[in-house]
Amino acid sequence: MSPNFRGILPVLMQNQVRFIVIGGGAAIAHGAARATYDVDVVYDRHIDNLRNLVVALQPYQPYLRGAPAGLPFRWDERTLQSGLNFTLTTTLGDLDLLGEVTGGGTYEQLLPTTQELEAFGTRCRFVTLEKLIHLKKAAGRPKDLEAIAELDALLEERRQQEAP
Amino acid sequence: MGAALNILDRSMVADTDNYQDPVIDAYKKDVDRTLLRENLKLTVQERFEKFERFMEYVTELRQAGRQARAMR
Repeated sequence: MSPNFRGILPVLMQNQVRFIVIGGGAAIAHGAARATYDVDVVYDRHIDNLRNLVVALQPYQPYLRGAPAGLPFRWDERTLQSGLNFTLTTTLGDLDLLGEVTGGGTYEQLLPTTQELEAFGTRCRFVTLEKLIHLKKAAGRPKDLEAIAELDALLEERRQQEAP
Repeated sequence: MGAALNILDRSMVADTDNYQDPVIDAYKKDVDRTLLRENLKLTVQERFEKFERFMEYVTELRQAGRQARAMR
């Protein structure tokens, strides 16, 4: 299933959810050309933001991805407070909600290395290209090696274009 | 002694951002930079739209592959 950035990002923004797009979504925003299958966001874990997140996704039947049907999963603030990272299915598409990310930490810690970019009629916060490369390297996953190479090349190309 | 240890400690900390990984460098040779240059000319919105078209194409290819296998 293709990641539904067009569906998910505006819903989060309309409900004043504080989040940062990382992973493949951030890579696309910066100009990468590789396929991605996830919408990954780091969310602020303050209680008001959890409330907004619950309200935002409630109509889209969030459920734990890969879990058997019929589990007593309640989509509410208490569940969000009890956990940290949630890989969800929703009727909008799959969404990975991360309370922390390796190499980047929490929403507040990641915030200084983000930038607002305009897409789908709204301005969302994305991790910078430099930080995205750092996060991918910190994750240490062999499957990311090609993606890191592309992001490195992208950064070189961008710096060349920006050079006087 | 303490200062010497401090220098040693710092020298042992890997600078992951500036470290040139030979494996990544090897992969970098295969990156299609013309594609990246084209993408850099686009707005963020246009990049996402291009990605959506690409993923539609990927989905169609997968479906065609499944159908072809089913017909064997």
